[in-house]
Amino acid sequence: MKRSVFYDFTKGFIEENPTFRLVIGMCPTLAVTTSVVNGFWMGLSVIFVLVFANVFVSLLRKVTPDEIRLPVFVILIATPVVIVELVMKAYLPAMYEILGIFVPLIVVNCIIIARAEAFAFKQPVLNSLADGLGIGAGYTLNLILISGIREFLGTGQITIGSFRFPATPFFEPAAVMLTPPGGFICLGLLMAILNVLLARRERKTKAQAV
Amino acid sequence: MLRARTLSGGVHLDDRKISSGKPVEFAGIPPEIVLFMSQHTGAPAKPVVKPGDRVLAGQVVGEAQSFVSAPVHASTSGIVKAVENRYHPILAKPSTAVVIEPDGKGEIWEGIAPGSDDISALSPEDIVKIARNAGLVGLGGAAFPTAVKLSPPKDKPIDVYLLNGAECEPYLTCDARLMVEEADEIVFGFMAMMKAVGAPRGIVCIEDNKPEAIMAMERAISGKPGIELCVLKTRYPQGGEKQLIQVVLGREVPPPPGLPFDVGVVVSNVGTAYALAKAIRTGMPLVDRVVTVTGAVRSPSNFRVLLGTPVSFLIEKAGGYAGEPGKVIMGGPMMGISLPRTDVPVVKGTTGIVVMTRDEVNLDKPLPCIRCGRCVDACPLRLLPVWIAAYSDRGTYEEAEKYRALDCCECGVCAYRCPSRRPLVQSIRLAKQAIMEERRARAQKASG
Amino acid sequence: MTERLVVSPSPHWKTDKTVPALMLDVVIALMPAVIASIVFFGWKALAIILTSVSSAVISEAIYEKAVKRDITIKDYSAVITGILLAMNMPPGVPLWMPAIGSAFAIVIAKQLFGGLGCNFVNPALAGRAFLMAAWPLHMTRDWLAPGFFGGVDAGASPTPLAVLKGESSGVLPGLWDMLLGNRAGCLGETSIIAILIGGIYLIWKEVIDPRIPLGFIGTVFVLTWVFGKPGAFFQGNAVYHVLSGGLFLGAFFMATDYVTSPVTARGRLLMGIGCGAITVLIRLWGGYPEGVSYSILLMNLVTPLIDRVVVPRYYGWKHEARKEKAL
Ligand code: SF4
Ligand code: SF4
Repeated sequence: MKRSVFYDFTKGFIEENPTFRLVIGMCPTLAVTTSVVNGFWMGLSVIFVLVFANVFVSLLRKVTPDEIRLPVFVILIATPVVIVELVMKAYLPAMYEILGIFVPLIVVNCIIIARAEAFAFKQPVLNSLADGLGIGAGYTLNLILISGIREFLGTGQITIGSFRFPATPFFEPAAVMLTPPGGFICLGLLMAILNVLLARRERKTKAQAV
Repeated sequence: MLRARTLSGGVHLDDRKISSGKPVEFAGIPPEIVLFMSQHTGAPAKPVVKPGDRVLAGQVVGEAQSFVSAPVHASTSGIVKAVENRYHPILAKPSTAVVIEPDGKGEIWEGIAPGSDDISALSPEDIVKIARNAGLVGLGGAAFPTAVKLSPPKDKPIDVYLLNGAECEPYLTCDARLMVEEADEIVFGFMAMMKAVGAPRGIVCIEDNKPEAIMAMERAISGKPGIELCVLKTRYPQGGEKQLIQVVLGREVPPPPGLPFDVGVVVSNVGTAYALAKAIRTGMPLVDRVVTVTGAVRSPSNFRVLLGTPVSFLIEKAGGYAGEPGKVIMGGPMMGISLPRTDVPVVKGTTGIVVMTRDEVNLDKPLPCIRCGRCVDACPLRLLPVWIAAYSDRGTYEEAEKYRALDCCECGVCAYRCPSRRPLVQSIRLAKQAIMEERRARAQKASG
Repeated sequence: MTERLVVSPSPHWKTDKTVPALMLDVVIALMPAVIASIVFFGWKALAIILTSVSSAVISEAIYEKAVKRDITIKDYSAVITGILLAMNMPPGVPLWMPAIGSAFAIVIAKQLFGGLGCNFVNPALAGRAFLMAAWPLHMTRDWLAPGFFGGVDAGASPTPLAVLKGESSGVLPGLWDMLLGNRAGCLGETSIIAILIGGIYLIWKEVIDPRIPLGFIGTVFVLTWVFGKPGAFFQGNAVYHVLSGGLFLGAFFMATDYVTSPVTARGRLLMGIGCGAITVLIRLWGGYPEGVSYSILLMNLVTPLIDRVVVPRYYGWKHEARKEKAL
């Protein structure tokens, strides 16, 4: 069965949402989501690496011997990571300071290796590209969502460059949201909400089917 | 007087012994007598009469089939109406019974011969034989054949015999009344028991909420060598065999299959001692017993009841229900069995009939366990009912077994105390059944 | 006869001490401390307590309604959580804090784990820990000097523990003031006598096991006496340590929470001692002046372990160790 490229793109948002459904790539999710800007750049880096790796793994899938596929993956992943790292260091040094170790660590981010192994190694290039974009975009949205909530509750406003919303916080910010426990609480609640919604949808479709 | 230790766990219950002042009266001959062949722990007896036969009081109607078993005797004279399956209150299923239509004469069988009044003339074997032929079983509720209890294995010498007059269940007064009215007979029977097992020392154990019984027994044992009195502080379930041994002697019976024999002790109920005394003196087998009919009845009473008398007949005799009945319990409120109907008969192990009104019946829905540990604190065997029940509810019976589900004596203290009203005993019982089933299956596989 | 009889397994009697009855006893036992807090901190204390309790009860009702569970607000457990949380707050906090704290305690720490009986930490303490992490300044600075019936002074007033630790300068209140409650501190921890009355009531009613509070307070006493003074042994101000901070409140009302303490008697003694040891560790060498609530939270987490390891010697069974000795 030929898979729909469109489906491979959209599945990353809900059904195979990496953070909330597949629960992979959690360390950067928890570590860098203290502000929307961080989350955005982190997400962008992951999209780039993911697409690059997916496309090349898929291109080379026919000529890669099974036994050495993991080393090949690692090289194919490490290359874009180095690119991201160098580019970021050159043009966004401040952001590089903040994201720090988590950029090189994308190499071992399980989202990317998981997609390479479970998807790109078996699927055509176009689907792999769509998968990389979709999963990456889903991941970025997650990061922005979590970091948005945490930043808003933790500092009282959302700051993007010199833009602040709301201009002055209208409540006293809860510092805990910027700490790891706050990250866990936020993540857990979002995950629970998504699960409840999906379960409800499933029940409805089942009820309709009957 | 011997000082008792404190019970580990247990609870103090409102004892409600409302019938304690009522002398034992004969309940009368009912219109129908139903004698189950299975009225005791062990193999059921085999019916030896046919419908149409005329039987007399004391005549054997069911013969013991094996070592752990007891014969059943007709409790009054009459015609055998049927040998058929009737609903058994304890087993909660139909079971073989001999049904007799009494003729109201109460004629005694010619085979009954008066025995002796002198224990020293009897050998231990004679006493065991009398107990066996009289169909004696423990009358405290467990109904274990007395003859078996009186024949401890030779390699386990018995140094103490405990006479259990604790009667720790609320409401019940049959043992207390018996001690007040028949103290001398009880002591006579007790001395015979001590002789049968060769115990040099005997201790009569009574809870301190029965001052009359204590006085009567104290008088009866005075001058009898080797017999002492031990007054216990009232606490449930002190009348349990294992608990009694613990509080009186400080010994602990090893876990099942350990028996009191293993720590050199035998325990018998005062009612059993009385029945043995009667069997020795008059030759009359076990055909009646004292039953307390109490709770929500118009006049709570203690009756001498012919075995096989229907419960409904007794409730009538006690003046009928006071208020709308909600539950009729055979036994005490803690360990008794609630009856689905009242046409079932009294069996050898029936200590009392307790009627609860509809308002007293608790139908609360159990709440989740709050881990308060009150069940743990109260368990007299120091088990962890909370875990046994939790594993049982989940169906993981091996875990329940590790927490010693099989040791549980089903005293009910844990479920009584649970603030969430969890049916702990029920869950534990389920686990026990499942574990035994599993063992049987395994044993079968191993042998087959 | 045609009577309709109920058939159910034994026992046919059940105690009257049901969950709501026990919880109501706890509420009653908390009353002296509640009254004391109102006496010392005035209407502010009352407002905090009322906010906290109503927030706890309302969030429980809303959550249970939303997930279609039985509404359990009648069992008083939410009320207790609300009162306990309020008792753990400085009297000067803004009112939205108890509201949020109670909602967090009930929804996140209790209901999301399955409701009463399933929560693994004490909800009130979880709520307090959350507030402490979220708005640390309010939770550590909003002390008020006590005054009778609303004589509330604005401004910060150091707690005895902070003084004891050398973090704030100030004079230690006299021992009598500590006992009565005439000192700065959280709402419910100031009056030792009020808490003691409640605690003794609970022990007398057999609602709580004295092993936990005695083990807890005893351990704190001994350890602070031995190690309390830097550089010298056996010279610590143990009496002061025992009387200050939230020790009595924690020992009698929070460490004894059924759900999060061990089910065996020996396990509970261990829990008390463990709480005491951790408290002293935090007070003497940790980063906070007070360690009672964190020590209880930590022991809450160890409780399942204690329950696994500490099992009683079942009747008739011999301990392995004893068996070896006998051989
Ligand atoms: S019923 Fe069993 S578990 Fe419960 S208290 Fe009695 S012996 Fe212990
Ligand atoms: S008494 Fe009931 S609520 Fe308490 S621990 Fe035992 S089972 Fe749980």
